[in-house]
This record gives sequence, structure tokens and C-alpha cells, in this order.
Amino acid sequence: MSKHSNSPDAGRRNFLKGATLAGAAALATPVAANTQILDPSKESTKAAVPGPRLAAAETTPPSKDPISQTTSGGDFMVDVFKTLDIDYLAMNCASSFRGLHEAVLNHGGNSKPEILTCPHEEIAVHMAQGYAKIEGKPMAMICHGVVGLQHATMAMYNAWCDRVPVIVMGGNIIEANKRGTYPEWAHAAIDPAAIVRDFVKWDDQPTSLQHFAESTVRAYKIAMTPPMAPVMLSLDAELQENPISEAETLRIPKLSKVIPPQGDSAALAELAKMLVAADSPVIICDRMARTPAGMGRLVELAETLQCAVVDNGGRMNFPSRHPLNHSFRRIVIGQADVILALEVNDLFGSLNAFNDRIVRATRPNYKKDAKIVTLGSRDLYMKSNYQDFGRYQEADLTIAGDAEASLPTLIEQVKRLVDGGKKSAFEARGMKLAAAKLAMVERAKSDATIGWDASPITTARMCAEVYGQIKDEDWSLVGTSIRLSWPHRLWNIDKPYRWNGISGGFGVGHNLPASLGAALANKRHGRLTLAFGGDGDFMFVPSTLWTAAHHRIPMLYIVHNNRAYHQEYMYLQAMAARHGRGIANTEIGTTIKDPNVDYATVARGFGVYGEGPIVDPKDLGPALKRAIAMVKTGQPALVDVVCDPR
Amino acid sequence: MTLLTKRFAQFTAVAFVAAAFALLGFAAAAPAQDAGSSDVANGKRVYLADGCFVCHGRAGQGGAMNYPAPAIAQVEMPVESFLAYLRNAPNDMPAYTTAVLSDKDATDIYAFLRSLSGRKPAKDFPLLNQ
Repeated sequence: MSKHSNSPDAGRRNFLKGATLAGAAALATPVAANTQILDPSKESTKAAVPGPRLAAAETTPPSKDPISQTTSGGDFMVDVFKTLDIDYLAMNCASSFRGLHEAVLNHGGNSKPEILTCPHEEIAVHMAQGYAKIEGKPMAMICHGVVGLQHATMAMYNAWCDRVPVIVMGGNIIEANKRGTYPEWAHAAIDPAAIVRDFVKWDDQPTSLQHFAESTVRAYKIAMTPPMAPVMLSLDAELQENPISEAETLRIPKLSKVIPPQGDSAALAELAKMLVAADSPVIICDRMARTPAGMGRLVELAETLQCAVVDNGGRMNFPSRHPLNHSFRRIVIGQADVILALEVNDLFGSLNAFNDRIVRATRPNYKKDAKIVTLGSRDLYMKSNYQDFGRYQEADLTIAGDAEASLPTLIEQVKRLVDGGKKSAFEARGMKLAAAKLAMVERAKSDATIGWDASPITTARMCAEVYGQIKDEDWSLVGTSIRLSWPHRLWNIDKPYRWNGISGGFGVGHNLPASLGAALANKRHGRLTLAFGGDGDFMFVPSTLWTAAHHRIPMLYIVHNNRAYHQEYMYLQAMAARHGRGIANTEIGTTIKDPNVDYATVARGFGVYGEGPIVDPKDLGPALKRAIAMVKTGQPALVDVVCDPR
Repeated sequence: MTLLTKRFAQFTAVAFVAAAFALLGFAAAAPAQDAGSSDVANGKRVYLADGCFVCHGRAGQGGAMNYPAPAIAQVEMPVESFLAYLRNAPNDMPAYTTAVLSDKDATDIYAFLRSLSGRKPAKDFPLLNQ
């Protein structure tokens, strides 16, 4: 272990001295000592007179064991966080990082970072995930490096699949001889990050404060370089707690601006030629818009080409009501002669239909001779164990580079190639697409009328009621358990923060805390944050509501309460149908009823305003209005809507 | 016929039925055939008991699994096509054989779906025109 940890106290030197004496004593008197222990018949007639060493130990104060200090490694760590402009540190308190915890409060003034108290580590990481997607920078979280990290892992996997930067830290006691009670042994590891190494981009276990500073700045830079991802630092407790011994030599490295990698310019020029020459080009996008500039760039490219855009919804890529948004008219993919995929994770899934039958088969949804081009950063960093990269999709041109960063060059190249004749052809194409889009929207509205007054409430009615209440606000939808189809077809989703994507790894328990993290980011901008969350998701992490109330984070959380783990309910039906038995039994193990959960009451128990359960659609609008009024006072509110399944 | 070619043939048939469903069920291209003496009440019971509503909604408004589950209120395809679709459905949709859903019950479901109110003009709903 490094020299910093006990300096300037003399504990270690004392230990070494003591060890030498004890060793010498053991060598000198082993037989006598054993004889004393093994001969119980030898009675002692009177108490032994204390020897000079014992007498001295009882009467002399432990002058070489200091009881206070004026600096701590944790103070320096907080200084590092401040240079990185880290706003929040989400945590569930734990002794393995008590040094840093105390330093954040009393050295850092609980500001940059400010502590977010989370009742579960999964909540802390998911909050960071949601926060980063709105704020554009990472939040830090810290946990016990063993048991806390075990709680945090699923959320880290979601963030990994979602390509979101999160700075995860775990406390540890590296030196075995420094561990005290048994829990400290149970909470220590040789390599704490081993459990998450498959889904973090980088990790380290610093052994000095200078090492910590360099690794933290490095971790930040790596996390923020596309493809973005979580990083992990294991922090030795002694490093956090003990005095700084090398203050005069410590230095916090400068964080340089991260410039995302652009695609090769020659390849982008080739792509531009393909797009301009195409009769029916289609752009598919997923986690494309990294910053607020991304959406505008994609709109410019699509409008220049007057081509259809299919948005898989991983980010706020394209306005929902734009005439070229054909996300819910995927027939355009089958008509395309050039398909450009921007930061699409599962391109195979976007281009092929899957039959969930005994023999699992796929069939292409695109024309055999369509040219496929990918532009994205995923190929720049991948790992092999977890299979989140999806099935391999053949392509004609693969351009490795950040799509958003590459778009200005691509747009410029495309504009150079568009002459008058092309422009009028493109406009004609755009008009056809606009007409088809309009028809799709009218169809969606018509579909939404089915079961309008039904109870349980239809998802379409719920979405229409919600939009009626928020449309004049500066709103931000940050979570959904109802897929994207109804909000994206019925609502005008037109600003970069109107939507921020999905979980990534589909790990349940994401929606509520990730939405809260996004709400925290939106708070400073004065936006009305809302989210639709499933009842099953809520049941994993209900205590998130306590964090919402405690930190006064305004958010309208609408529980789409279909009283089931619905996707699994459907899968089980498919199994029962395939096996030809027991279809009517499939609610066993898949539903959340008997008893029904009263989510509004649960919310109130955590100090959050609650409305519901709402079963009559006529009651929904007024309930939403009351809840939004509460949110506007700076408080979270929950509305429990008993809904039809999807 | 090898297993593979048999599967391909089944797959093609399913795709054909799916396409027919998309055209007939969604686009109302053909008149529906009434289910004669069907029992609407029984159709509703089976629709709920066998969990059709789980994907397609209690009002037949549609929903989603991995793929969209179409709205089937007032289903407009002929009853024969409806039964064929049930027996050999594509994508997410389980194939409901006669072992779990008799022709009678399936026909009653069809009658129930035909009895639902279905779509209305969206212009009459202010909340859908915001």
C-alpha cells in the first residue's frame, strides 16, 4: 500500500516495530508459552504483578495515535470533482466511503457535487442515466464497492446499453490488515470492478491521491467520448479518510474538450453521392442526437434530401409532426433503395421481421438490392460477453464515427450535389411523403377513438388527456412504459428535450428513477417533466419517490397501471398457445392483482402527492390538472391510471 | 418436403395471411362476412378469458408486443380469413389451434369484435385535434 495512507501518523511504523518485538519474543519463548496454555492443573495462587510494559500501557496516553487531522484525501477528491463540474453525487450511504461522504459535506459544502440520497443503488445509477441524457454531462454515484455495486449492476448495464456516461465509484478497503470488523471483510474485494467490467468502458482502483486525480479526469474523458458509457473507480477507504501527505506535489490534471470522432470525409462524400442518386432514400436513426444540435442537423439533412426518416426513439432525433417523420410508417423501409442507419444499435432488428415460433425465423423487410450504409460510433468500442450489439447486419458501407459530429460534413457534401433538377424531384418526393404522413396521423387519431370511454382506460385516451393538460407548458417527456406510438403519433414533440430515449438494456426498475434524474436536470430549466411508468417497473423501486420528495424534484409521474408484467403476460400466452394448453392460466405469475396496488397511497406514504386510482376516463383530466398544479409548486406528483394493457 | 422448405412454405403462407390482414383488417378493402348465429356474449367471454385483450385491448383498440398488435374492433376481413389468421398467425401473435380455441369460440370472438363500436370520426374529439 502506498505511503500516503497513514502518514504522518506513526501507526504503520508502530506496527512494524511491534511486529519485530513480537516475532523476537515468539522465537525466544515458544515452549514456555505453550506450556502455560496447555497446563490447566497449574493453579495460580495470586494475581500476577503487572510487568513494566503493561503498567506503562495502562498509564501512558497513546501519544503516537493521533485522534484528529486537518486534511483528508476525501477533501482532495472533492476538489477534483469540482474541477470537473460534477453537480451531483447520488448515493446510499455506506461506511466504505464515509471519508468521501464527510468531505463532500464539510469540505465541499455539499455543492458540486451535492449529495442525492437514494434508497437503493439501482436508483442512484438510473438517476444518473436519466440526468445525463438531459443535461449532457455525467453525474457521479458512489456505493459500497461490493454489496452496493451488486445492487447497482443492472442499472449500469442499462446505461451501458443506452450509451450514457455515468461515473460510478465504489468504496473498498484494499489492505487486508486495515479491515476491522467482519462486515469490512465481507465488503472488501481484490478487484471490485470485476463484476461490472463487461459493461463499463474503463475502470481503475487508484492507490494514491495523484493517481485518483489522473484516473478521475481520465474516466470523465473516456465516459464522454462517443460511444459514451459508464466508468468505474474503486476508492480505497484509507485514501479517502487519512491525511494528505503529499499536498505540495498533488496536481489536478486539466480536462481537455472532448472532440467526437467524425466519419472519414471520403466515405461521407461517397455516402452523399448514394443519397442524392437514390430514388427513395430512408434514414433510420436511434441514439443519434447526443446534444441539442443533433435534431436540427438531422432535419437539415432530411429536408435537403426530402427523404423519409424512421426514428427508433433512442434519443430526441426528429420532430414527431415533421412531414418526413415516418417512424410509424415503416413500409418506407421496404421501398428504400438506399438506407442510411445513424447510430442504430439493432439494425438487423430494424431491417428484418422476426417470427417468434418454434423455429425462430427472420425475413428481410428491405429490398434485396437496397444499399445499406451505417454511420455510427458503436463499432469503435464493443465488448463480447453481453450480446447487446444485436445480430450482424450486412451493409454496403460502414462508416465509423459519431453520427451527429459527422452530419455537417455529410450535409455539405449532399448540398453540393443537389442541382435544380434534383431539387424539384426531391420536392415532389417530399410532397408524397407529407401526404402519406398526414394520412397516417389521421388514421392514428381515428384508432384512438376506439374504446374512448372504456374503463379500464385506453392508452390512447390517457395520452390524449395528458397532452391536453401539458401542451401549453414547456414540457419534457422522459420515460415511457407504453412504447412510443401514442405520444409520438398524437403529440407535437418538437424540441430536443421533449424526449430522451429508453432504458437501453430493458432492465425493469429503470423508468421511475431515470425519469427522476431527468427531472432533476430539467428543474433548473423550469420545464414540466412528465413520464409514463409501468406498475411493474414501479414495484421494483418505489422508494425513488422518497428521493423525489426529499430533494423536491418536480415531476409528474403517471403510472400506466395495467396490473401486470404485461410483456411477460403476452409471452406466456404464446407459450400456452404453442403447447396447446392452459391459455386461461397465464395470469398466474404475470399479473399484479389480488390485492391491487394503490399507487397513490404508496406515493403519499413517501411524501409525494398522489391521485388515483383513476378508473373512469372522465376523471383523468381533472386529476392531471390537480397533479400538474402541484408539480408547478416544485413538488413531485403521481397519478395512478388504471389502463388497458397497452 | 424438407423441414426447412416446409417451414419456408408455412412462413410464406403466414406472410400472405398477414398481408391480407393488413389490407383487409386495416384498410377496410372488403366487406365483412357476418358470423351468422354466433354468440356475441360467448365471444366476449372467450376474448377476455383467453387473453385476446392482452394484446388487442378490451375494446379491440389494438396495442403492441414486440410489433404493433392491430386494432380489431369491427374487424372487416371475412370470418374465414379471421380464422385462418388465428390458426397461423405471424410475428408475435401466437397461433391458436383448435386444441385451445374451437372454431365455434373463434367465430364467436369474431362476432364480438364485429359488435364493438370501432372507430369514430376523430374530428368529433377535441382532445385528438390539439
